[in-house]
Amino acid sequence: MVYALVGILVGAIIGFLLPYTYNTAYTLYISVAILASLDSVFGGIRANLENTFNTKIFISGFFGNAILAAFLAYIGDRLGFPLYYAAIFTFGTRLFDNFAKIRRLWLYKERPIKTKE
Amino acid sequence: MKKWNPKLMILVSSAIIGLFIANGMRLNLDLITPVTVKSIISAKNELSAAKLEVEDLEELIEQKSSELKTLENIASGEENIIDIIESDLKLNKAKAGYTKLEGPGIEIIMFDNLLLDNNVISYNDDIIHDVDILNIINDLKVAGAEAISINEERLTSSSEIKCGGPIIRVNGRSLGAPFTIKAIGDPKVLMAAVNAPGTYGETLKTIYGIGLEPYIVDKLIIPSYKGIFAFNYAKPMEEGD
Repeated sequence: MVYALVGILVGAIIGFLLPYTYNTAYTLYISVAILASLDSVFGGIRANLENTFNTKIFISGFFGNAILAAFLAYIGDRLGFPLYYAAIFTFGTRLFDNFAKIRRLWLYKERPIKTKE
Repeated sequence: MKKWNPKLMILVSSAIIGLFIANGMRLNLDLITPVTVKSIISAKNELSAAKLEVEDLEELIEQKSSELKTLENIASGEENIIDIIESDLKLNKAKAGYTKLEGPGIEIIMFDNLLLDNNVISYNDDIIHDVDILNIINDLKVAGAEAISINEERLTSSSEIKCGGPIIRVNGRSLGAPFTIKAIGDPKVLMAAVNAPGTYGETLKTIYGIGLEPYIVDKLIIPSYKGIFAFNYAKPMEEGD
């Protein structure tokens, strides 16, 4: 969790300093992608705490989810139907799910409670 | 594959996220709301309204610049202001009905039903009423008639068409059947306005048997208004108030 926060901070500083920005037309896709990858990072933290971290799964989830979410938003834009809601609901729910599990793992570090897998 | 440190992975990936978040914040965008069909339609309407307004304004610019040109010509002495005002006066007189006008148009001759042995319920159905004339005149106006006269009485903006027993009154004068209605305009359109199936003129002719004979005339002459028109109560308002 601390690593994630530090990472976001470092990234934010780099982002503010970098002279490049993306086109405003892609804002929707980027924000959905950010949500998806944020979920992946939370999943990664959880897996790390549970000692089940797998690099391949993490990397593929991180980029795959982001690309899929952005793609859904793009397709929805073309069809005139907000398909990105699917990404928002799924990754939003999973984000809070993951966070809930991280909290439990942290708070009961000494005697971890059984979590359903 | 080399085993990566999970904490490092998380650090790097969250740095990427942070990068994008910061980038997005730097764009300083307003809240993005989903585009719905409704919002697209309303935006379209707004756009077309704005376009119309622009067109109107462009027309106004053209008009004003031509006015400015005349004023400049007056100032430079190329045109005489008296000539311009006189031509203006002529145009306004023609519009008000004080000038004889000529042009292509149609002439309609209307007469009462002359057959005596037809099975009509009331003799009222056999004669021309003020309402019939009014409806025909209205149809002609819709069809773009520029000047209309009834039995050589010019119709102006204040002309009345009133029943007066066996006659009708127009411009305070009594007119009797048969009526000759003259109208200047596009002859084909005017003809269709009184002759086409479903129009008032056609109904009069075919159902009531009233005589209605329209002719196309290439050179109609419509007389001027013979009365005197004056405002007793109305006052012109200053422009721009």
